[in-house]
Amino acid sequence: MSEIAIQVDDVSKLYQLGTIGTGSFKRDLHRWWATSVQKKSDPFAQDLDSNAIGQSHVWALRNVSFEVKQGEVWGIVGGNGSGKSTLLKIISRIIRPTGGAVRGNGRLSSMLEVGTGFHHELSGRENIYLSGYILGMSRREIRQHFDEIVEFSGIGAFIDTPVKRYSSGMYVRLAFAVAAHLYSDILILDEVLAVGDTEFQKKCLAKIQDFARNEGRTILFVSHNLQAVGHLCQQAIWLKGGQVAALGSVHSILNQYIAQAQDNRLSQVWDSPGVAPGNHWIRIKSVEITPQLAEPGQPIDVRTPLTIQFQFWVLQDDMRLLTAFQLISYEGDCVFDVMSPFTDYKKGIIEGTCEIPGNFLNDGSFSISLVVYRNSWEELYERENCLSFDVEDYREPMMDFSGKWWGAVRPNFPFRIVQIQEEQPALTLKPPA
Amino acid sequence: MTKATMDSQKWDWEIKNKTSWWQVGLLEVVAYRSLLARLVRRDFLVSYQQTLLGPLWTLMQPIMTVLTYILVFSKLVGISTGSVPPALFYMAGTILWGLFNDVFGNASTTFTANAGLFSKVYFPRLVMPLASVSAQLIRMLIQLGLLGIVMLYYGLSGGFQFHLNAWVLGIPLVLLVVAGNGLALGLLFSVITAKYRDLMNVVMLIMRMLMFVTPVIYPLSIIPGNLRWIVVLNPLTPAFEMFRYALLGEGSFTPGQLLYSLGITLILLLGGVLLFNKQKEALMDIL
Repeated sequence: MSEIAIQVDDVSKLYQLGTIGTGSFKRDLHRWWATSVQKKSDPFAQDLDSNAIGQSHVWALRNVSFEVKQGEVWGIVGGNGSGKSTLLKIISRIIRPTGGAVRGNGRLSSMLEVGTGFHHELSGRENIYLSGYILGMSRREIRQHFDEIVEFSGIGAFIDTPVKRYSSGMYVRLAFAVAAHLYSDILILDEVLAVGDTEFQKKCLAKIQDFARNEGRTILFVSHNLQAVGHLCQQAIWLKGGQVAALGSVHSILNQYIAQAQDNRLSQVWDSPGVAPGNHWIRIKSVEITPQLAEPGQPIDVRTPLTIQFQFWVLQDDMRLLTAFQLISYEGDCVFDVMSPFTDYKKGIIEGTCEIPGNFLNDGSFSISLVVYRNSWEELYERENCLSFDVEDYREPMMDFSGKWWGAVRPNFPFRIVQIQEEQPALTLKPPA
Repeated sequence: MTKATMDSQKWDWEIKNKTSWWQVGLLEVVAYRSLLARLVRRDFLVSYQQTLLGPLWTLMQPIMTVLTYILVFSKLVGISTGSVPPALFYMAGTILWGLFNDVFGNASTTFTANAGLFSKVYFPRLVMPLASVSAQLIRMLIQLGLLGIVMLYYGLSGGFQFHLNAWVLGIPLVLLVVAGNGLALGLLFSVITAKYRDLMNVVMLIMRMLMFVTPVIYPLSIIPGNLRWIVVLNPLTPAFEMFRYALLGEGSFTPGQLLYSLGITLILLLGGVLLFNKQKEALMDIL
């Protein structure tokens, strides 16, 4: 299935700044006179190329192009005002682009807010139909899935109560339940996960995942929840100031985006025990990660060996301590948890060093947490996310594979593969015929 | 899936920067007929939710208006309603004018009232005004029932002689002209007032003046000959006169006037739908 579902072709959108009304009537007349009566070109369109438009207009999108193949799930990331919503609105046919075109195959539905078309005075039942029809469902589809929608929402007995008497959670659940049963080929989702409680958000995420993985639908997904984007999408596009900053596989885009949004924090140092984090037993003096880069200035990639070094002030005598550090992936999972042996220390400074070899970590964003235990596993002090860094992907040029490399880690274990003679039966796994 | 769709020239849909004047997409409106029916239902459900009289308001409104008109125009001013009892005369005029007024009012606020919805989801925008016209037509039919009851009352009590004639069959045409003009002007003004909000005040003023050049509270026959052309120029006039003639037996119109009225309605309707269609996306940028 490599057919294209959506083609965004050089799309631009220009917005007029300031008040609309005063003066615009005169200009409209002028434009109408020039284009319709005198058959000349639009006198204001010429301005679009000049610098003059900088004053009164703003490009919400500029020359955005990409293609989404059928069954692909794309994330759109970018800061506020980067043009994400404008792009989705153009693809959803709500507004027209100023230039360029969007083409597509298949039925498209969009969900740019939760509860589109809901009316507060009407019952849940009425709203399921109303919202369903507005989102483009057919009568048959709604009837067929009505019970599922009610069950998914968990509204139950309140189905005939006006939605204005619902709690905000119930309202959101019902609204999402309707949209979750949209059976179109292409789904456009905007920030829909920003609502509801955590449990319901997980349920929504699972449902969207289900759309993508099991039903092979094409999805365009905008969210500030980068974790959700990372989980759901294979591809991503990063918009910055209305232009495409980068596009490609989701992890490389998220890494670039995060790296730009929050710089890697490779070291933290405190000058004296008075200002350092900790308690009256220990204080952290420094913690840092040193990449052993082939050339300075290069980014950390999967081949780079890393050295993690930390120092503590021990403030009491006769402390039997163990230090552990955990590498936490971007998704929040612990990749590994390594620890020093228990050792007795006197007052003073202690230093620990640990090496993460190259060709071990997978690409992604990671953070490091430090935990100190005393005696028999009494947690003395924990400092979460004290360092963070990105590991860029690297593939051997001969490797013709650009998909996401699976796994929490990507170790370079010895792996031998040889051709053997057919007469040698010893290694065959087949039972003798 | 097929070779044809692999060809990059073939697409199910395309979104470009220009809206064509002629691609109104009426087929798409038909595809959304279930939504239209739901919106009509919503209109009725919401109007009468948490009200004392509920759907009776559909009847209360013309009744109160008619009582006021009888008091002011019949008793105080003394406008002759011919051989027709004033109550019947005013009721026929009121419910027909009510249809025009409500259809126009709802259609002209299509963009301003639905800005939130329109900015979040695509569906054929024409569904919205069409749904409100449908709801108004249903209300009109209920009010027509009331008129029938009042006619029966006057007929039985001897104050009114029935003159039912073949023109009754032309009532759908009357509704088409009245609702059609309301919709057409409403669509035109929905575009204009979305852009220039202050024109809404002017529109309200024009509506009030229009009522006085339409035979709502007076029969066309009492207008002096030298002023009559103003009223006759109004495409609503023949519709009102024919409506009264069909039901009450009094009214002055010619087939030529009816054709004129129908022609103007269709032209306005075409213009209204085309302008609405042309501007519907451009307006989203400024709402």
